[in-house]
Amino acid sequence: MADLPPMTTVKRWLVTTNHKDVGILYIATAIFFLLLGGAMALIFRIQLWEPGGVGILTGNEFNQAVTTHGLLMVFWFLSPIASGFANYLVPLQIGAKDLAFPRMNALSYWFYLFSGVLLIISFFQQGTFAGGWTMYAPLNVPTYTPAMEATTGGNAVILGLMLFVISITIGTVNFLVTIHRSRAEGLGLWNMPMFTWSWLLTVWMMLFAFAALLAALLLLVSDRVLLTQYFATDQGSSLLWAHLFWFFGHPEVYIVFFPALGIMFETFQTFTGRRLVGRKWVIIAMVLVAVQSFLVWMHHMFLTTINLEIKTLMMATTIGISLPFDLMVFALIYTMVKGRVRFTTPFLFSLGALVLFILGGITGVFLGAVVLDYEFRGTYWVVAHFHYVMVSGVTALVAGLYYWWPKITGKMYSETLGKLNFAVYFIGFNMLYFPMFLAWETPRRVFHFAEGAQIYHRVATVGAFILGLSFLIMILTFAKSWVSGPDAPDNPWEFSRTAEWAVPSPPPLENWDGRPSYASGRLEFVEDSPAATDGGVAHGQGNQAEATIEHEEEHADHASIWPFGIGVGTFVFFLGLSGLTPYIVDFAEGTPNPPEGLTTVPEPSMLYPILTVLGIGIMGVTLYKFGMEDFEVPEMNIAERWPFGGVGNTKFGVWVFLASDVVVFGAIIGAYIFMRIHMGWHEWTTVPFASWPGLLNTYVLLTSSFTVILALVMAERKNKKGLLGAMTATLLLGLTFMGVKAYEYSVKFADGEYWWYGLEYSIYYVTTGMHALHVILGLFIAVFMIYRIISVDAYLEDHRPVEFFGLYWHFVDIVWVLLFPLFYLM
Amino acid sequence: MADLRTYTIIYVLLLVLGTGKFVFFEFDFAYSVAIGGTILLAVAKIGLIAAYYQHLIEEPRSITYMMATAVFMVFLLTIAAGYSIQ
Repeated sequence: MADLPPMTTVKRWLVTTNHKDVGILYIATAIFFLLLGGAMALIFRIQLWEPGGVGILTGNEFNQAVTTHGLLMVFWFLSPIASGFANYLVPLQIGAKDLAFPRMNALSYWFYLFSGVLLIISFFQQGTFAGGWTMYAPLNVPTYTPAMEATTGGNAVILGLMLFVISITIGTVNFLVTIHRSRAEGLGLWNMPMFTWSWLLTVWMMLFAFAALLAALLLLVSDRVLLTQYFATDQGSSLLWAHLFWFFGHPEVYIVFFPALGIMFETFQTFTGRRLVGRKWVIIAMVLVAVQSFLVWMHHMFLTTINLEIKTLMMATTIGISLPFDLMVFALIYTMVKGRVRFTTPFLFSLGALVLFILGGITGVFLGAVVLDYEFRGTYWVVAHFHYVMVSGVTALVAGLYYWWPKITGKMYSETLGKLNFAVYFIGFNMLYFPMFLAWETPRRVFHFAEGAQIYHRVATVGAFILGLSFLIMILTFAKSWVSGPDAPDNPWEFSRTAEWAVPSPPPLENWDGRPSYASGRLEFVEDSPAATDGGVAHGQGNQAEATIEHEEEHADHASIWPFGIGVGTFVFFLGLSGLTPYIVDFAEGTPNPPEGLTTVPEPSMLYPILTVLGIGIMGVTLYKFGMEDFEVPEMNIAERWPFGGVGNTKFGVWVFLASDVVVFGAIIGAYIFMRIHMGWHEWTTVPFASWPGLLNTYVLLTSSFTVILALVMAERKNKKGLLGAMTATLLLGLTFMGVKAYEYSVKFADGEYWWYGLEYSIYYVTTGMHALHVILGLFIAVFMIYRIISVDAYLEDHRPVEFFGLYWHFVDIVWVLLFPLFYLM
Repeated sequence: MADLRTYTIIYVLLLVLGTGKFVFFEFDFAYSVAIGGTILLAVAKIGLIAAYYQHLIEEPRSITYMMATAVFMVFLLTIAAGYSIQ
């Protein structure tokens, strides 16, 4: 694709794949969602001015405002703004020119943006989701939602969140490959800048945690659109949701907070002029927290019916996770003590974040104790605690905005305005959240409270407006800097040490002229001879012609419209899906055994099926164009790659994606096992009419795995006929698999046993259906590859895409290895 | 990368192991034996597919560890959640 248009054009921002541009897009979009989420908060804080509300919101509108505020802040603001910083800074900090997969990076941004647009549109679909940001079952399914009109809008929110998680997954794969495989020579993991360290651990946590959320959302979407029964039964639905949600939700706290912590480490080092005290131990502590974050989730479930033994265990692990945090807090304090503090705006925000986090952390210990949690659960104590934690993270993120503003824009800001911003922010924050501790007996999520708590709520409401004002001051400060601020030097901070400060502000498109290297122990830019780039061994100087060829081979593309196109297609498709429920209800009511409990649903609108089909069409075209586009992304010739050396970027990326998919499928299979245990293992009804279709499909799928391997062997032998034959056989076997599956389903349908027939039926259809969806996606890829083999003799010179396809296809086979006994035999 | 003969042997083994699961439940084995045997066969099958068809044995060991971590997460979630309602 052609070079990038200038930054002043709209086209630039639609086609860019450059990490710095994508970073700016992320930050700007996240701030927009912050303001939107903030506006929601101000509206319901007004409602809370007096017990029973002042009447500006109805009960349902209050629920919608509170829910949307939580969803926007946790999902569409906190992680994405950190992602924006990471996009802009991580490649700079590790000495890379871009992320490993720039087009996928742009795609993850567009998915993020459009997922937020889906949420906004939901307000205009007769009401958005109102079941709380935790989406607890059964309030998350239409049967139990009081306002049935809200179904379409609620669907749009859940689908939007699903699109958001897909965006996160793509970003996660990209960053893991980049950080592990594109570090400058000599930059070992131990020596990585602290922000990059915090982000590396964040994306590792994201990889596993968001996969569990994706599984939960897939099941929820299935319930809401297709009328399955996962979260609508009295057979463990609410516990299932709580387990899946909080397995994601607790690591999410650290996913949100770690980037903020990374910014605190960076700014403390820079503005105390001292290396972080106990730096190695801080890294170890962060690794420990990342691991422990997956071992505490049931402390969010102390008031459910889980047994006391597991509650006690989770209480112990919860107390345990506070210990590494203590180390980090003391490391920051001692860094201040040992250094000489410069009270700049970024430092003030970072210091403020530390103070607020300490308070948030201590008040959380109360909630981690089972007995105390019985009292505090569902009260404003929880609201106050998690806002002190989460918004202390926001405080550090604002520090990051001030810290890197000169680097990103090339302009300095007014320190006076910045300090005023901090003062107003800090006062507003504490006026808003501290009274909530005092009004702790107020129940969450309602606007009815005791008369005695009114004063605290009024102070909090005033504090909310002051906090809101502080963000206006921040925007004013940045706007003034943008318009009339003095130019920023490469490094405006005396003691900043990370690599982004060694290049101009703002950095050039490809970041560096030479190759960054830490081989000598400090950052240097080396000019490689063309011959040295084949692995670091110099064979003497090449001639001018060789150098020119090398230079051309090194050319990287930075522009592609197709990520945006795929984003549009997926958005239209998801919007279409949001309105299909009425059609499914109509269909279900025409069957012998319709679902119970659905008395009122929205009127069907033809708009939604049309959008669904249109979305599929746009996705088909844009994905094809994306696959056909010639887009050069040179892999770094010399880089630190431990512990993932010896495997190419794309192959490693496929493996990382598969690791995420293991958790998605594993959680869905785990949901089956959990619900079966809950029901009583032997009480379960086996749904398939016989086990032989399962066995037959086992043979079919195993044979297709063998033909994929044959295809790889043929590609290696450059045998076009063999490759074509093996891929065609794979395609036919996949179609046979789908044919057997269709027959199996049709036998059940003939008896009127659809997916809403009972919990076992929902689980059978959804789990095997998810697997079938994976097969179908694989078949689309196979068709595309067969087309490429026929049309351009593809994969004979470079057989890696056949191997990558095989990795995916074998994974699909592995899943069936488990589904066959679980659903057909046991 | 293994040769065609190895891949063919593994294919035959996979078919046999797949049939074995069916045999456990179709013939007169105790339910617990059938479940235990099926789990073992499934683990063997997954191991063979991952190790040879996905060439995990030829990749850096760190990739195996990463996949093992993902599998661990699934076991953690499923077993702990299952235990929590005992």
